[in-house]
Amino acid sequence: MKPEWRKYLFQRAPRYTSYPAALHFDACVTREDYANRLAAVELYEPMSLYVHVPFCKRLCWYCGCNMRVENDYGRALRYVSALEKEIALVGRKLAGAGRPRSIHFGGGTPNYLLADEIAGILHAIEQEFGLTDDCRLAIELDPRLIRDDDVARLAGLGFSRMSLGVQDFDSAVQHAINRVQSYDMVESAVSEMRAAGVTDISFDLLYGLPRQTMDSFEATLERTIALSPDRLAVFGYAHLPARLPRQRMIDRVELPDVLLRADLATLADEKLIAAGYRRIGFDHYAKPDNPLSIAARDGRLRRNFQGFTDDISESTIGFGVSAISSVNGLFAQNEKGLNAYYDAIAAGLLPVVKGIEVTGGEMVIANAIQSLLCRGEADTAAIFRAVTPGEAQGICCKLEALEADGLIAWTGDLVKIDEEARLLSRCVAMALDPYEISDRAGMAGALAQAV
Amino acid sequence: MSEKLCSVPTRARSCDLCEVRERSVCADLSPRELAQVEKTMARRHVARGKPVMAEGEPNDSLFVVVSGSFRLSKLLEDGRRQVTGFLFPGDFAGVRATRSNAYSAEALEDSLVCCFPHRFLDDASVQSPGVKDRLIARGQTEYHKAQDHIVLLGKKTAEERVLSFIALVNRAIGIDESAGKRRVPLPMPRQDVADYLGLRLETLSRTLTALKRDGRLYDLTRHEVVVASEAGTAN
Repeated sequence: MKPEWRKYLFQRAPRYTSYPAALHFDACVTREDYANRLAAVELYEPMSLYVHVPFCKRLCWYCGCNMRVENDYGRALRYVSALEKEIALVGRKLAGAGRPRSIHFGGGTPNYLLADEIAGILHAIEQEFGLTDDCRLAIELDPRLIRDDDVARLAGLGFSRMSLGVQDFDSAVQHAINRVQSYDMVESAVSEMRAAGVTDISFDLLYGLPRQTMDSFEATLERTIALSPDRLAVFGYAHLPARLPRQRMIDRVELPDVLLRADLATLADEKLIAAGYRRIGFDHYAKPDNPLSIAARDGRLRRNFQGFTDDISESTIGFGVSAISSVNGLFAQNEKGLNAYYDAIAAGLLPVVKGIEVTGGEMVIANAIQSLLCRGEADTAAIFRAVTPGEAQGICCKLEALEADGLIAWTGDLVKIDEEARLLSRCVAMALDPYEISDRAGMAGALAQAV
Repeated sequence: MSEKLCSVPTRARSCDLCEVRERSVCADLSPRELAQVEKTMARRHVARGKPVMAEGEPNDSLFVVVSGSFRLSKLLEDGRRQVTGFLFPGDFAGVRATRSNAYSAEALEDSLVCCFPHRFLDDASVQSPGVKDRLIARGQTEYHKAQDHIVLLGKKTAEERVLSFIALVNRAIGIDESAGKRRVPLPMPRQDVADYLGLRLETLSRTLTALKRDGRLYDLTRHEVVVASEAGTAN
């Protein structure tokens, strides 16, 4: 990495999985607003569905998700029944409009639930929204929780994409994050998936974890490549102990410093590219024949809450605690706590607590940032038309600084990220963002480092 | 990709011989209007699997299905397909001339359509105002099909959706059998029905089998079901 780029490593940047980011959500958006947007969904509008399963068997100390450790399966059954009611509530508002094109089960740990419960949720979706054989089903799996015939049963239900939370194969690192899972366990999960005909296996890896070294991470990458997943997401660990108490279990002094983080990210990038993977956006990798690579090649890549995706849906409908929906320019987020969620569902109410209505100007910024992150380029003319003169001046200054440092080329109305600077994409996105909040006190603590 | 028609258009010998005329089509035209429309009309055979309208391509004719059946579908950006409806004899498509069709209409079996170029229909309406509206007054158009579809998709159980679908096809092409029974041809593949109803193929098959088992379908084969006569009047 060029020396003049190092200062960007210290920046904190939003993940830009949505724009405006969830940080800006407030109670101005009500369940009635969300219901009105649902009622306006068109007959054949493609929809992407997200189902949040907030339970885990054990606590991983790095985790930033909304989850709880749960040992009583009865409580999970109660949650599933609430989910099915929520699906029916939303179904009533849609009244047959909208076509689910993909369903993603995330968590927490979706396979905390048994296949019977997952089948029940799919059945509710089929009744309420319609579910066709070409709808793509994806699920995140914890390899430690995979029971005897789970993988085969999930494949039988139609899950064609399975994603494993691998994080790191090194035992010392695994102990430091309280997620101990053997290579054999992951390997046997992968072979069960292959045997069941799953053609899209995804791994999540994390860099910036405690005790990671260049050598240990290289070994993790080599073992990963040996298992030949179809795609990977390589995320930077966000250490935010002030906001996430569980992360206080991680000893700060064991964390890689910012330069090592950058080296780890670069190492992953180089090794995966050398192994034949295509870089997708800035932190995903996929085999050339994977649907994600094809979408990137065809300019169809998009960014949603799950990261980079080939899903064409503009609208996402989220179910379960803290799930975020995005329908026709409105973001709506559900209750975070289980009890508040259950209370709303029991009262027959959509469990929405907050959100944001995206203005026309914000939509322009959102599209520009999506284009920048997905394709490495953005149209500045559209942005300058959408923002105030003061904001435009601020954006200009920031872009000029990035250009001076060689992160971007800016010719005419087109800003293009230098191929070598793709890992710093979020810093460039931040320059286009009039809400860029890095210097606003208080909020900076909620942001992860840019790399 | 624009291989739309599989035979050279032939002029109908006479609308008097038309099989669907008695049902509905053209029934609201005066003899003089019919004579005018007849002059501009061409009859086309469409072989099974061929489109009479292709999504994204221009269309300048109004079509009415004389015999056979068609599947209406739209392609999504990612190459997947949405089945949006079916056309049966007496149904119209291409109600407005367009530079880019919003959907495709493909023949599910060897079919026959009449095509009325919008240009001639517009000329005819100088002398006979509203002739186009009267031509399609009793037929169903793509707009009716969208209405049917949203009603079907709004039904809450697989069973309701399947029964409503059978009733819909029954009204269009059901045939009286003896003893209060109606034979309902299903010219489309099961997968098309499943996609149209927002069901997975397995759910559709299970639902049909269950309906057969509890006697609500008298008979069930690949391309036909037999129902009670009154089933066709339910929604």
